[in-house]
Amino acid sequence: MLKLTNVETFYGQIQALKGIDLEVNEGKIITLLGANGAGKSTTMKTIAGLLKPKNGSVEFNGENVTGLRPDQLLRKGISLVPEGRAILTSMTVLENLEMGAYQRNDKDVRNDIEDVMQRFPILKERQTQMAGTLSGGQQQMLAIARALLSKPKLLLLDEPSMGLAPLIVADIFKIIKEINEAGTTVLLVEQNAKQALKIADYGYVMETGKIIIEGSAQSLLEDPRVVEAYLGRKSTS
Amino acid sequence: MLGEILNTYYLQIGSFILINIMLAISVYVPLSSGQLSLGSAGFMGVGAYTSALLTIHFDLPIFVGVIAGALAASILGVIVGIPSLRLSGVYLAIATLGLGEVIRVIFVNWDSLTKGSVGLTGIPQLGREILEFSRGLGFEPAMIGIRNNQFVFLSIFLVLLILVIAILWFVIRQQNSRVGRALQSINMDDRAAESMGINITHYKVVAFTQGAFFAGLAGALFAHVIGYISPADFSYHRAVEVLIFTVFGGSEVIIGSVFGAFFLTLMPEVLRFVSEFRYIIYGILLVVLMAVRPQGILDANLLKKFKFKRSKGGVR
Repeated sequence: MLKLTNVETFYGQIQALKGIDLEVNEGKIITLLGANGAGKSTTMKTIAGLLKPKNGSVEFNGENVTGLRPDQLLRKGISLVPEGRAILTSMTVLENLEMGAYQRNDKDVRNDIEDVMQRFPILKERQTQMAGTLSGGQQQMLAIARALLSKPKLLLLDEPSMGLAPLIVADIFKIIKEINEAGTTVLLVEQNAKQALKIADYGYVMETGKIIIEGSAQSLLEDPRVVEAYLGRKSTS
Repeated sequence: MLGEILNTYYLQIGSFILINIMLAISVYVPLSSGQLSLGSAGFMGVGAYTSALLTIHFDLPIFVGVIAGALAASILGVIVGIPSLRLSGVYLAIATLGLGEVIRVIFVNWDSLTKGSVGLTGIPQLGREILEFSRGLGFEPAMIGIRNNQFVFLSIFLVLLILVIAILWFVIRQQNSRVGRALQSINMDDRAAESMGINITHYKVVAFTQGAFFAGLAGALFAHVIGYISPADFSYHRAVEVLIFTVFGGSEVIIGSVFGAFFLTLMPEVLRFVSEFRYIIYGILLVVLMAVRPQGILDANLLKKFKFKRSKGGVR
């Protein structure tokens, strides 16, 4: 579905991505792990069009989409939930959801908003409240819900668990799993490697702008290098 | 009877208020997408000089000149708006302030065209032209019992009033449209806006250019109301003055710009009785306001309260 070939992205002179090859197959949850500064968010931003790669190519459903603008990519079905719950704080919850459907003009928008609010009952309850008054977890749910309203084929989630309490994190991961089961492919960037690998099908581990390990989620959970570096316990085997 | 009510002095102040409202809106619109532009004096100057020169040298009707002036300012707005996208906040403010000064310096030094710092005189006057036109149709101000002089000022005031109402109608409609939503989202969080598929480059340039258009329009009208312009009319003092209208009145809501321009244009006139103290009072008022109400006099919350009270009163 999505294929990155030798993608290199720069911030001015600094090379943040040093040739990324990555593939996301339809219907799966793929996770991208790594420490701070490894280039995970940069990869996501490059896929979503917020950054333009200097070299390499991005293919989506067999079509070369390298260097397209974010709004063009959204129309093709790639939706990003940026890091740090970028919600519109002085609009209401409902208005935020409506903004998620900004590019659509079909008649199903109202129904879809209703559906999304079924999945996130708290948003229905708070729909007339300013989004900025929601708690962190609720804001993250709103950000995800809003992204869903563009009806993405591929949902990019950049650290959805950041700064949230463990219980809320578990909720969020459950929701991600449900979204995937409902037919949306997910690419998930996480620091919380354990949780991410639990729901993912396949994973990539990044370090300093490169992919250093990849494999099925199960194999990564057992990989001693991953265990030691990201799962926070000594390898037992 | 009408002739006794109409005071040309009041009408002229009213016209200045209306021009200043246009200028305040020219700051408000870019600001509603998070762009602080101090270029309004410069754009105003481009509009004024374009229209004045066209009407003086080519004998064009004033309305053609005014449209040309506003368009010239908007073209400059696009040219400046695109590279300015890389700037935000104070950096954009400084760049646009610089632009205004560059424009002013060009007016001062391009002697052969602009007559330098002496300025342009003999600009066709809007009220006179309307008077001529009405006479051509067989209308005399005396027919409705007012003097020619009163008719001139009244017609200017009415033309400006119609334009301001049209601009307000346009901006308010736009705010409640897709475009307005896009601008608001960009203002709140451009990253979020971008990830929702809003083409932020496009909308930012649109807002910036609209600001330039309104400033150019106001400038062109200013030239034809006053009849005389010089580079000093478009200095950075003007840019700051216009910014104060918007900030004082409340920059979150458009009615704030209208109120700010109205109040701050009227106040020095009302305070004439304290003569030399009036600018001191003006200054103190601004300082107090910024300390007490940094968001400006009017904001969304205050307006909501008003509406709430009114609807409650209606029920009783």
